[in-house]
Amino acid sequence: MNVFSKLKQSNYQIAIVSVFLAIILASWKPHVLIEGIQRACLYAVIALPMALILGIVGIINLAHGEYMMLGAYFAYFLNVYTGMDPLLAVFPALLAFFLIGIVSYKAIIKYVLDAPELNQLLLTFGLAMVIEQLANLVWTSRPIKLPLKYVSSSATIGSFTFGTYEFIYVGGAMIVLIGLQLFLKRTNTGQAALAVGQNPRGAKLVGIHVDRTYLFIFSLSIALVGAIGAVFMTRHSIFPLVGAPFTMKSFCLIAMAGIGNLMGILWCSLILGLAENFVLSFRGYAGWADILFFALIVLVIMVRSHQRQVK
Amino acid sequence: MKPKLFVLLMAVVFVASLSVTYEVKAAEPIKLGAILPLADITGDQAAKAMKVAVDEINKSGGLLGRKVELIVVDDEMKPEKGAAAVEKLVTVDKVDVLVGGMSSGVHLGQIPIMKKYEKVTVWIGAASSRCEQAVGADATWYFHLHPWDYQQGASYLEGWTAINKKSPQVKIDKWFNAYEEGAFGTAGFKAGQALYKDWLTPGGKPHLEGESFKSAALGGGDYRTVLRHAQETKPDIFLWTGYDADALPIMEQAKEIGFAPPIFIGSPPGWPATFGKSPLAEAVTLYGMWAPSIKEVSKVSKHFWDAYIKEVKQEPATYFAPLGYTNIYFVADGIKKAKTLDKPALIKALQETKYVSPIGETLTIKPSTIIKNQGFTKQKILQWQKGQQQVIWPFEFSTSQLSYPFPSWQKR
Repeated sequence: MNVFSKLKQSNYQIAIVSVFLAIILASWKPHVLIEGIQRACLYAVIALPMALILGIVGIINLAHGEYMMLGAYFAYFLNVYTGMDPLLAVFPALLAFFLIGIVSYKAIIKYVLDAPELNQLLLTFGLAMVIEQLANLVWTSRPIKLPLKYVSSSATIGSFTFGTYEFIYVGGAMIVLIGLQLFLKRTNTGQAALAVGQNPRGAKLVGIHVDRTYLFIFSLSIALVGAIGAVFMTRHSIFPLVGAPFTMKSFCLIAMAGIGNLMGILWCSLILGLAENFVLSFRGYAGWADILFFALIVLVIMVRSHQRQVK
Repeated sequence: MKPKLFVLLMAVVFVASLSVTYEVKAAEPIKLGAILPLADITGDQAAKAMKVAVDEINKSGGLLGRKVELIVVDDEMKPEKGAAAVEKLVTVDKVDVLVGGMSSGVHLGQIPIMKKYEKVTVWIGAASSRCEQAVGADATWYFHLHPWDYQQGASYLEGWTAINKKSPQVKIDKWFNAYEEGAFGTAGFKAGQALYKDWLTPGGKPHLEGESFKSAALGGGDYRTVLRHAQETKPDIFLWTGYDADALPIMEQAKEIGFAPPIFIGSPPGWPATFGKSPLAEAVTLYGMWAPSIKEVSKVSKHFWDAYIKEVKQEPATYFAPLGYTNIYFVADGIKKAKTLDKPALIKALQETKYVSPIGETLTIKPSTIIKNQGFTKQKILQWQKGQQQVIWPFEFSTSQLSYPFPSWQKR
């Protein structure tokens, strides 16, 4: 395939337009580009584990943000009692939340796997409420924030100063995305999980242990979101309700990208993160950022639905 | 038994029973019903401080020869729970006085029920003047100790004018207010705009600009854009109005983009416990009714501080703690003065009560714009210095000089 025929493909056209827009943005409003990418990757890294559960186990986990909140508190208390840096707490958080995932699945989730979707939603919504209220009872609603020097690190190019710490979200999103892609495509367990996600009955017929796969995927997802909580708390104040808005955003991103489309989540996050920051960069239009976020999601879902009907 | 002896015996039994009934009645405690958000630090510490005050009063013999009982109900920061708490305390617990309060939103839901029963109420929360309008001018049974929002705003301007007069190098002409996009921040900004219209600074009319941001409490947490916009305007004073969840991240992000205005003010209802420990907190100015350092200049405040730590085993971290303590003592002094719980007498006594409070000032009752019984009217200008909140203004309570200008990030 020569260069010109490649350029005719829509994917390449989109890539060229994106690069062109990025160059314009970088020269006009460089902070929009940098901070938009950073924020987008935060949304993506939180949404990816939720997409994994939805794509394979088939459950919308409305307690997703609450597990992240628990991960943040976990890292906070590790720091308080052992002095461990929250970024290092990612590793014990992975292990601890994998176990929490196993307990949650065995005690709660597996009983609604065959239930109607509304029951599943109600259950995970109830779980979110229970976790939130317990956190409120134990730790109160008072926000906590660790004073960490490195989170306000910055770099200066000419007269433009920008934060560098939030690139950790970019790295995190890449690690989680590539790691999950490799796991799902290159390992036996991952391929089995993909098969279960596509057709659980068929997978069972060929000897895949469906329940064990669900258990593993659910626990892996909880482990990831718990570990993300540890990174999240370095930059944000934590309190019992801190995770809830991210459940909503993650769900919207998954709806926009399409179920099971992990790479799509990254692209959609980039579109939304950049658009959000672009609107915010105009004074007096801050209130429009959320409207734009959800309007874009509605628009994309409508376009995709229309394309499906045309096909 | 002879009839005369029987009648005499019956009379003795009757008189004895009357005296027993009287003693039981006399032994019944005076009930104070407090409504507070217990999961929030403000409500939690106010409730604990109220208990400290009640214990002190009971140890010194109670009131009118009776013990004082404090019944605390959690409003969970929900208007419907707050309204139900009023109903329960008045009809089931039959309290003598209602105390407490924090959120204006909750209070708006409580006011109609309070107006239904007209129980003597001494309220320490709810700064929104919408609550004052809802209470109305006829509610003589209603006492409000916290300053209303317009009184707070006016006291800030008075404070900055006084600071500028004393130290003319402190510029106060150009303001930028970053406010959270919810009702709290927006109402504060609008109230500020109204106040600034009639305010004259050394440079003439002050210039106020503002922009909203999404608070971390509502799913936000990225303040860089609004901070950049503030930076572009080069303000003399930068003021952010949001929640405690925003406090430290705003400082971190201001440092990140190199934004250090001459005066950096934060105005959340409460500060995170760890804020003072951060080097980024140094020279951040704040508003509040009280600071721990007031104990250095006020004996009552020192007494409150020691008593609270002894009983609660933690330091009071919000002005709602001394305000809760004040709430109980003010009511107690009113009851002592009235020598009865009879409503008109108690209202009159409370109106005449002068209580030297741990907040700093002496609490007296005067009419405000609408209501007849308003307590405190001023906030203080404070500043974080070496991890402690110091009082900058009013000068009579001052515990330190204003650190000016806000040091650049490189110098920390």
